Amino acid sequence: MSATVQATNKQSPEPKPMKLEDILQSDVWNVDEEPHIVVDYSKCEKCPTKPCIYLCPAGCYTLAGNRVVFSYEGCVECGTCRVICPMDAITWNYPKSGHGIMYRFT
Amino acid sequence: MSSTSIPSKFDVAVVGAGPAGSATAYLLAKKGFKVLLVERGRGLGDKQLFGGRVYAQPLREVWPELDKEAPIQRWVTRERVSLVSGDKALTLEFKGGERKSFTALLPQLVAWMQRKAEQAGAIFATEATVDEIMFKDGKAVGIRSGNDVVYADVTVDAEGVNRLLLERAGIVPRLSPDHIALGVKEVLRTGSSQLEAAFGIGSDEGVAWVVVGDVTRGVPGGGFIYTNKDTVSIGVVIHLKHAINAIESGQLNNHVYELVEGFRLHPYFRNLWHGATISEYGGHLTIEGGLSFAPKRLVYPGLLVVGDAAGLLLSTGINYRGVDYAVYSGKLAAEAIEYAASHGGLTYDNLLEYERKVKDSFMYRDLVRHRAVEMLMNDPTMFSKLAEVFIGLFSQMFEQDYSVPTPYEAFTGALTEHNMSLNKLMSYMITAVRGL
Ligand SMILES: Cc1cc2nc3c(=O)[nH]c(=O)nc-3n(C[C@H](O)[C@H](O)[C@H](O)COP(=O)(O)OP(=O)(O)OC[C@H]3O[C@@H](n4cnc5c(N)ncnc54)[C@H](O)[C@@H]3O)c2cc1C
Ligand code: SF4
Ligand code: SF4
Repeated sequence: MSATVQATNKQSPEPKPMKLEDILQSDVWNVDEEPHIVVDYSKCEKCPTKPCIYLCPAGCYTLAGNRVVFSYEGCVECGTCRVICPMDAITWNYPKSGHGIMYRFT
Repeated sequence: MSSTSIPSKFDVAVVGAGPAGSATAYLLAKKGFKVLLVERGRGLGDKQLFGGRVYAQPLREVWPELDKEAPIQRWVTRERVSLVSGDKALTLEFKGGERKSFTALLPQLVAWMQRKAEQAGAIFATEATVDEIMFKDGKAVGIRSGNDVVYADVTVDAEGVNRLLLERAGIVPRLSPDHIALGVKEVLRTGSSQLEAAFGIGSDEGVAWVVVGDVTRGVPGGGFIYTNKDTVSIGVVIHLKHAINAIESGQLNNHVYELVEGFRLHPYFRNLWHGATISEYGGHLTIEGGLSFAPKRLVYPGLLVVGDAAGLLLSTGINYRGVDYAVYSGKLAAEAIEYAASHGGLTYDNLLEYERKVKDSFMYRDLVRHRAVEMLMNDPTMFSKLAEVFIGLFSQMFEQDYSVPTPYEAFTGALTEHNMSLNKLMSYMITAVRGL
């Protein structure tokens, strides 16, 4: 007889938040070849708080060291970054006709 | 917009096929107007995201067949409001029964509205992002998408909260965080029997649930839960002005998606959707303080503004009315255009009928009456403070070892514990009650 500890005897662990990239797997996009949003990174260097890093719901703005990196592919077109950027660094548009996020249930 | 298949002159061009634009186009097409409805999305309704509950009566005025035909998820029979502080929560439930409001998935509901407009005879162009409203001598004369140009006697702007076109036309200033909130939402697939058991409801029932307190880590805002047939819509809404302040002060150093995840995993709520998979995730802006967001006018020569773009949305912290307001403003715009056409033409003076109709409507009256909400929103700590004090009160009353406090002791105990004077509490309550 082996003395294995039954998993059910352990306390069930606190559920953990999923990773954003895994959550985004549930969404569907028709990705354009060209970005619809363009960021002037030279302004980001001088941006003290970088609110886009926290507030873009799709995590399109990330930090590589101190540098902001933007990728448009997962954008859900909410417009938040355009509204919160204190440096006016963002040239914002909708994706070209028919492209971008395609919601089904929300 | 392929220029080959679409004639280039219309009576009315409607930009944006959300609830507002679809209702406008439907009613006008039904009356025999030559209407073009333009939408940037590809599939029907695929740019649509909202919380989850729609008030039915204003929609029935446009589509009397609503109850029978629309893709209704569940009629709301129970309203719940929770105050949350840490892991503790205080919940109030109201059980109604009348068919006043229903839960929906907005892409499905809007797809239904769009098909209605098309069936009524409107030309529906999808995959067409309008780049500008064209003006000639101060009057809107049509729209342009890429190289395609369409002329119309009247253009109806139904582009929603993110008003790029009105900004480009110089009609509204650049969107400011002051009047805007961000909503982030997850749709959780649980299955209908698990959902009904977990929420304690029957198969013909639905729940609309508002959560205030610290679901948003102290940033003013709130959470919502709506039961669909076999999924649950949950999400958080945060006021962008306050979010920016919270980031500056270091109070908010989480990604906004972690707020929704924190809500999904909150010990008080998480068993409602235990084991569910996330079937969709998204974000959308919404309006706080409708009237201050509204453009100066709702009518310009050749141009009417409807729905969110017109600031016609009521958000009180407890009640949220955007879809029905959008549809209703579309109805008023369609009636005004019809009125103008039968009173000598679609002139500016005749079209002003739309503004008169909006000002006479329940929407405008309510937006004026609820202005105090803006005051309330300006005190970022109020909701969470109130939640803390009330939860403190109940925790004093129920969480005991030996001694049972009198109600008075529980009350004063809760006040001192949370550093709140009776005066301050009263003034909060008065603002809150006035606002709500
Ligand atoms: C998080 C959240 C929760 C909400 N919860 C609720 C709720 O529970 N109940 C409720 O009643 N309301 C709710 N609302 C509000 C509701 O969603 C809006 O009030 C309503 O959708 C407004 O309708 P609309 O037609 O004016 O605009 P929208 O629904 O935004 O539609 C605008 C349409 O125009 C299109 N468009 C925009 N620009 C262009 C362009 N240049 N060219 C072509 N097409 C364009 C867009 O793709 C879109 O389809 C919520 C909103 C949010 C963000
Ligand atoms: S908020 Fe604007 S300026 Fe600041 S980091 Fe983000 S994009 Fe750059
Ligand atoms: S529009 Fe919204 S989703 Fe897209 S990059 Fe900006 S904040 Fe992110």
